[in-house]
Amino acid sequence: MRKLIFIFSAFLIFGTASAQTKKGDLLIKNATVITVTDGILEDTDILVENGLIRRIGKGLSGGNGTTIDAKGKYVMPGIIDAHSHIALDVVNEATSPITSEVWMGDVIDPYDIGIYRALAGGTTISHAMHGSANAIGGQNVTLKHRYGTRNPEDLIMKEAPRTIKFALGENPTRVHGRNNNIQPRTRMGVEAVIRNGFSEAQQYKRRWSEYDQAQKQRNSTAVPPKYDARLQTLVDILDGKVIIHCHSYRADEIYMLINVCKDFDIKNIVFSHVNEGFKVAPELAEYTMGASVFADWWAYKFEVYYSTAFNAAILNRNGVVTSINSDSGELIRHLYHEAAKTQRYGGLTDQEALELITINPAKQLGIADKVGSIEVGKQADLVIFDSHPLSVYAIPQMTFVDGVKYFDINEDNHDQRIRVSATEMVEPIYLKEHEHKCMHNVDFLFSNFGRNLFDHNH
Amino acid sequence: MSIIYKKAYWWTFAVFIGFIITDVAKAQSDNTGERRVTGTYIITNANVAYPSGKIQSNTSILVKNGMITAVGKNIASPSNAHHIKGDSLFIYPGFIDGGSTAGVTKPKDPERPSNFNSASPPDDIAGITPYRNALDYFDLGNAQVSEWRKAGFTMAQILPEGGMLPGQTALVIFGDKTSTNIYSENTALYATFNASRGMYPGTLLGVMAKFRSLYRNAELSSQHSALFASNQGINRPERDKVLEAFYPTLDKSLPILFAVEDDLTVRRALGLQRELGFRMILSGASNVEEIIPILKDSQTAVFLSLKLPEDKISKIKEDEESDFERKERIDRIKSSYTKALEEAGKFEKAGIAFGFSSQGIKSADLMKNIRLMIANGLSEEAALAALTLNPARILGIDRYTGTVEQGKLANLVITTDSLFKEDSQVKYVFADGYLFEYDTKAKKTRSETTDEVDLAGTWTYVARSPQGDSQGQMVIARESNVYTGEITLDNPAGSGQITTAMNNIEYNNNRLRFEFSIDLGGNYLTFSVSGDIDGDEFDGDLSVTDLGSFPFKATKQPGA
Repeated sequence: MRKLIFIFSAFLIFGTASAQTKKGDLLIKNATVITVTDGILEDTDILVENGLIRRIGKGLSGGNGTTIDAKGKYVMPGIIDAHSHIALDVVNEATSPITSEVWMGDVIDPYDIGIYRALAGGTTISHAMHGSANAIGGQNVTLKHRYGTRNPEDLIMKEAPRTIKFALGENPTRVHGRNNNIQPRTRMGVEAVIRNGFSEAQQYKRRWSEYDQAQKQRNSTAVPPKYDARLQTLVDILDGKVIIHCHSYRADEIYMLINVCKDFDIKNIVFSHVNEGFKVAPELAEYTMGASVFADWWAYKFEVYYSTAFNAAILNRNGVVTSINSDSGELIRHLYHEAAKTQRYGGLTDQEALELITINPAKQLGIADKVGSIEVGKQADLVIFDSHPLSVYAIPQMTFVDGVKYFDINEDNHDQRIRVSATEMVEPIYLKEHEHKCMHNVDFLFSNFGRNLFDHNH
Repeated sequence: MSIIYKKAYWWTFAVFIGFIITDVAKAQSDNTGERRVTGTYIITNANVAYPSGKIQSNTSILVKNGMITAVGKNIASPSNAHHIKGDSLFIYPGFIDGGSTAGVTKPKDPERPSNFNSASPPDDIAGITPYRNALDYFDLGNAQVSEWRKAGFTMAQILPEGGMLPGQTALVIFGDKTSTNIYSENTALYATFNASRGMYPGTLLGVMAKFRSLYRNAELSSQHSALFASNQGINRPERDKVLEAFYPTLDKSLPILFAVEDDLTVRRALGLQRELGFRMILSGASNVEEIIPILKDSQTAVFLSLKLPEDKISKIKEDEESDFERKERIDRIKSSYTKALEEAGKFEKAGIAFGFSSQGIKSADLMKNIRLMIANGLSEEAALAALTLNPARILGIDRYTGTVEQGKLANLVITTDSLFKEDSQVKYVFADGYLFEYDTKAKKTRSETTDEVDLAGTWTYVARSPQGDSQGQMVIARESNVYTGEITLDNPAGSGQITTAMNNIEYNNNRLRFEFSIDLGGNYLTFSVSGDIDGDEFDGDLSVTDLGSFPFKATKQPGA
């Protein structure tokens, strides 16, 4: 069984064996390079080989790839969105308060035009998350925006560690408590569901380790316990193999989950949305891997009335690893604007503001050693802007993932869809969402929380 | 055993058998007059499709009690044979359907228990019933079976209806109603990506996880059972019919037939297969052109869907005023449409011996769609193989059927012309050695029907679904070439009938399309109907998103 679990986990981490994704060679010349971790380098070249940054300096030459003269332009690391739902066929398995067995990697939609739109906004990595219907939701998947592939596996960032969605407050209590009359109906219930889950996971772990011990005896006739992917995932969280990303708004519930994590000795936790995070900033700084927030988005339901646009700045200055996320196929197109808002509200420096959408989300996703800054040895996820990315006039010109160009404003066609319907003149994207999902799931509320342009409801 | 003794033995045996047969005949005099006079048929002087694909003229076929006993020239006609003059007729092997729901009804949803919990519903309510047998829900007398037989199908792998694991498939013959017509049961465990409504697994996410979980636990449970069977002092294994239904898939003795739609669903099924290691057949694939190499490398058996997209694009008028962007968009739709038609041909070129599954289309579209595939690159030989020998091989029954050869099942399709010709019609079908004869008529040419019929008036319709026929009326009015209408239908949420508007009525070249929606407690379900008008008759189909399409026929009431 240990082997079985290992294979299963390996599947979740690496996906199934597949061909290598494309890696590019590239030389960018004479750019203003915003490294994020090593200041701003004027009139500097970046040499990319086989998808990795090989050299950063002046007067570089060589390489087998194309050379791009970026004189007068700015190069920054690809933007990373720590909370997104693009490129997914399904968002919520909203039928159970704990669904830690489901995996967003199973429902990737490589045809989603949202991936291209994100690239056009300089976003190269998104954290494709389960929705917030359940106290413990599904396992997420970190995507690299290698748009153009028809193979969902090509989008998966295989080096990224496993993450899982948790959710507190109104969403899980509405879906399960008020709609289905099962636990959790209140915030207390949410805590109980999570604590019970972890306690069961401990028992499950014990059952299997006893079995594995017994199996080592000669001529063992030990009977295998039942396999439970739901509890196994919780065991993996307890064992530190999975990072929790928790949907949360109120200070009390955030502090509650910190205490739960302390009780179960769980270290890897990031809070998402965190509208009242400014009230518990020192606690977040001390115990968590950070907070991923909106720049200025609130008042769409009761639990998000006590909010401020100064949230990111307050968290940041209190030492919380802070990121700005989109949670939207629209905001993901201009996260650099969202980051710039923290300068208007809170006076963050350029450096601090850019960290919110690069190295900080990379840290929260456990990939900061691979991406999130322009450093030798890191993956060449790069964006070229026509002006400083925090300028309100900034427009991304080219976007690269692994040194491969996936967006070029000069090659931007009318129609960038990969797959086109054989019958529909206008593909009913929103209608489909509504009809399709509501037939397949329970109802619209359940399936997707209005995750479309007309109805923001997080 | 001496020869004399052997002869005597056979003689006695033959007399004995003869006695039984005559005895049966005497005991049950056929007062209905339905029983056939003879089980022996000879079709003479026909054009016969040989296994090589070649059509051999002046060939005769002798059929005896369900089996082809001779194929060739100069076959002597037994005195008791029903003689069919095959002059100008063409004989092909009976078609085999890799995945059919003809005649299969969906089992009733079980009652929800009072302590129902949507997070952990009982398996049978959640659509997890792999222990069910399609045969238990199959009715050979269903009109759909007759329609598919008339289209040339003599055997089908029938699919149980239900949720993510509806049950086990079975191979049936579309033969005479006096026989059971079961060829073999439990031919595959049928799996779909259908989620349950309002309970776990409620989406594709849950279905994927649940499938893995069931398969893994089936492995562990069979391990436990094996331990229990060969040791003392082992806890009794808990019997679980869901997991036990998986047991024969664990050692690959039973394949899993996965219902797929497009490339993404195929990839998901392939992913599960690679991860868990079962033997797999895919049913209903379309839009999978891009992954032909993957299917070929993995040697996955495939039943392509017989469904083709509707040709909507040729009706879109491209006027000079159309802007560039619009034109570009139309071109892309056109190329998607053409790609769909070319898909079967591309499978042939890749050397994949695919079959077809009929699920989701109506029998009237069969030849129309196959001709479209042929017009777009599929060879006639490959089309015939996909209907006959390939499915026989995939299903492991090619020793018994799939070709017109001596010793094979007497499953034959006999047409008035070469099979795929536009005006070729099915004249006879032999299924299990039983003869079915069909009226053939000279088809009307297009010019006779170009005069558009005025739709205005009252029409009565019959929609045929596996749950039974439903009837109602359409009242259509016309005002300066614009049609409006209302349709009555059985109230899905109660008794009686409801009336709703017919939307988006399009009518040209005698082709009628419209839609209507019904309100299911806040959720609107849209039905679309399309088909051809011929005089006072409308012959079309009704399709519902994700639920498939069903025959829909209407007749205009005189004087109304």
